[in-house]
Amino acid sequence: MNNADIITNNLPLFIPLIILEVGLDLAALIHIFRHKNYRMGNRILWVLLTLLVNPIGAILYFIIGREQY
Amino acid sequence: MKATWFFIRKELLESWRNYHLLIITVVFVIFGIEGPLMAKLTPDILKMATGSGLTIKMPDPTSIDAWQQYYKNMTQIGIYILVVIFSGTISNEVAQGTLVNLVTKGLPRYSVVMAKYIVAYIQWCLAIMMAFLISWGYTSYYFPDNRSPHIWSGMWPLLIFGLLFVAITILGSSLSKSNYMGFLTSVVVFIVLTLLNLFKSTGRYNPIALVTDNIYLIKGTEQISHIMPAIWITIISTMVIIYLSVLSLKYKKL
Repeated sequence: MNNADIITNNLPLFIPLIILEVGLDLAALIHIFRHKNYRMGNRILWVLLTLLVNPIGAILYFIIGREQY
Repeated sequence: MKATWFFIRKELLESWRNYHLLIITVVFVIFGIEGPLMAKLTPDILKMATGSGLTIKMPDPTSIDAWQQYYKNMTQIGIYILVVIFSGTISNEVAQGTLVNLVTKGLPRYSVVMAKYIVAYIQWCLAIMMAFLISWGYTSYYFPDNRSPHIWSGMWPLLIFGLLFVAITILGSSLSKSNYMGFLTSVVVFIVLTLLNLFKSTGRYNPIALVTDNIYLIKGTEQISHIMPAIWITIISTMVIIYLSVLSLKYKKL
């Protein structure tokens, strides 16, 4: 059994997971590109974190990275 | 009372607008799916990791494994994510001075604490219940065995533990102007309770029993009456802690 088999055998579990994580990442990326200032860090840092550390990067961005008004 | 109600509505709106509800929903739905998924995949992962040369006899995963994953997620990273989200709830407003207007216009200070506590606890329940229902659905679909007959009795203690933990976060948040104080207080309390749990004699009375014994409650090897003292201690200390937070905000310079 290889990786692809594992995923195809468990599609009902993987599809919602993938949708959620991609959705959260997209929401974070849209928010990052629409705003210039962040509470900490800069745009490159947050884009990289969001894309590479899934899904913690996007969560961290919304909790501590987002500028509050 | 009316003031508290209005402040609750303001808090819910705030939680919606600053994406906290979104994060909580997404994260806990992921946790709900992850429990059964990890239970199902662990044998395959081990098989891949060891290769074909070595054969490990793994028992087939059961619903107990799925619930174990669920409670592991909920009581470790799940709790910390919620605490990080709630930890700035009062200290932020004090630091930014946004409470001054409302309080001078006649909003009682205890209303602030009560409303924040209630809204935070609603979010806690929402998160835990959502993950629970999703996990329940998948578990009963993938593992239709009857090894976990009492799923609800494992659930109540977690919800009751939330009463205490949210209260501690609110207290930490009302004590200090820093965002991280609420988080730090909760983590320290959690560690102290865990250390106390090393002494076997405190087991029944320690609130931490509410989040460590869930799997035995589900299996039915332990009855909920066994941890009843811990439940009472949790509820009473919650009231004391909320009273302390009200006092702390009362004598605070806004």
